[in-house]
Amino acid sequence: MSWSSDKYLKDMKEEVEKQSENDKIAISVQDLYKSFKLPTERAWGLKQAIFNRLKGIKGYKKQEVLKGINFDVKKGEFLGIVGRNGSGKSTLLKILSGIYLPDRGSVKVNGTLVPFIELGVGFNPELTGKENVYLNGALLGFSNSEMDDMYDEIVKFAELDQFMNQKLKNYSSGMQVRLAFSIAIRARGDILVLDEVLAVGDAAFQEKCNSYFQSLHGNQTVVLVTHSMENVEKFCDRAILIEDGKVACDGKPSKVTKEYLKLWS
Amino acid sequence: MGFFILSKKNRVLLGELVKTDFKLRYQGSVLGYLWAVIKPLLMFAILYVVFAKILRFGDEIPHYPVYLLIGTVIWNFFVECTQQGIHSIEQRGDLIRKISFPKYIVVVSATSTAVINVSINICVVIIFALINGVTPSLSWLMILPLLLELYLLALGISLLLGAINVKYRDIGNIWEVITQAMFYAVPIIYPLSMVMNSSVLAAKIIMLNPVAQVIQDIRYNLITTQAVTSWQIGGFWFGLISIAIVFIVLAISILYFRKRSKHFAEEI
Repeated sequence: MSWSSDKYLKDMKEEVEKQSENDKIAISVQDLYKSFKLPTERAWGLKQAIFNRLKGIKGYKKQEVLKGINFDVKKGEFLGIVGRNGSGKSTLLKILSGIYLPDRGSVKVNGTLVPFIELGVGFNPELTGKENVYLNGALLGFSNSEMDDMYDEIVKFAELDQFMNQKLKNYSSGMQVRLAFSIAIRARGDILVLDEVLAVGDAAFQEKCNSYFQSLHGNQTVVLVTHSMENVEKFCDRAILIEDGKVACDGKPSKVTKEYLKLWS
Repeated sequence: MGFFILSKKNRVLLGELVKTDFKLRYQGSVLGYLWAVIKPLLMFAILYVVFAKILRFGDEIPHYPVYLLIGTVIWNFFVECTQQGIHSIEQRGDLIRKISFPKYIVVVSATSTAVINVSINICVVIIFALINGVTPSLSWLMILPLLLELYLLALGISLLLGAINVKYRDIGNIWEVITQAMFYAVPIIYPLSMVMNSSVLAAKIIMLNPVAQVIQDIRYNLITTQAVTSWQIGGFWFGLISIAIVFIVLAISILYFRKRSKHFAEEI
């Protein structure tokens, strides 16, 4: 017996091996569909659920979020994903990260994917900075020895040397974000998936992040979801615009940002 | 069973979650981890005064205080394990929504604090037993497989009810009431022989519960052969029923959990 998500990953791995001649593709998304059941009446309890069943209320309506998404990400490419609120960007990212299962279609990931749907997942205020780094690392799938290797760089980038043995609750919010962000960008995975997490900290730290992202060019596969057209033009090699659950535009950042701004005109 | 074979990555994650849970459990209390020992001892003290001294239960049972103590320790383990386990998925919702990992790790890590606690408590019980003049014997080792049996039951219940609890939060409350009731349906404070004197059938029904079977078997092996086990009242095949129940519950739970866990991220 094996677990569904393990099996899912294994299937993905096998698919990838078959494809090994096509080595340049990091992520291949084909014909992806996803819908959610949205509860129409709150059914948080057994009572409500039974009542709804008796009254013949289905209790939910189906909302199609992704309606056939297709795209590839090449190795070393910096891909931006844009679109208005509720267009399905985050859902797409969660499927890429293996958090949601798609209804139909396939996602093939070539290499290890490190998802940052949110910064500092699992951060606990009662733990020290150091403990949080290792916990966060384990959640992202890194072993302790891998974290040992990355630890110094993370601390250095976050500029928090003297604070690592302090509890996180004694950090300022800026310090917390800096630590979380440093883990995100120092984490060594083949593919980095970031959801709207650029631009944290003060001006000096932002400047540092900017130059770091620019240095990534060509060396690291990154998928970035953002609302900042400035960042898309600055960092991305390519961008896609998601509108109404479909890829509305795919190409050069300048072209895609123009299309994006047209949505409101 | 492949269910429990973890990849290296998942072992690291499980280890970190267990460490975190244990560190945070007694965070900010002066006595810290000592509470893991103090709590069951205090509970035992109350039960001992009420039932052994005032109501005079267990006068005919040798080493009744130790007998009562091990009963409460094992019972607490079962309750703690299931309550932590059932709420674990709901409590770790933030992780499940943002990271992809096998969800049962959350349940196993939540129940493992109870395992650490019961291990400490068993040591305390053994010290008590020695002070009370119980003769050490090899049969004490039987505690380990019996605890494993109880853990598998608790894990099964946690997986099953924890998965249902994602959708229907009532389950946590219902289970609390059930455990309250079960406390009296398990021979913890009263000796089983008291029930047998009035109705053997009632005693048999009580002993079908794996929790009761484990508690009585541990008492039999640790303290006194006067503790009535299910093998004694119903024979070999009767004794197997409660063990079978454990594995049936576990199997159903694993199947159900596997089916549901794919959708936790969306439903939680």
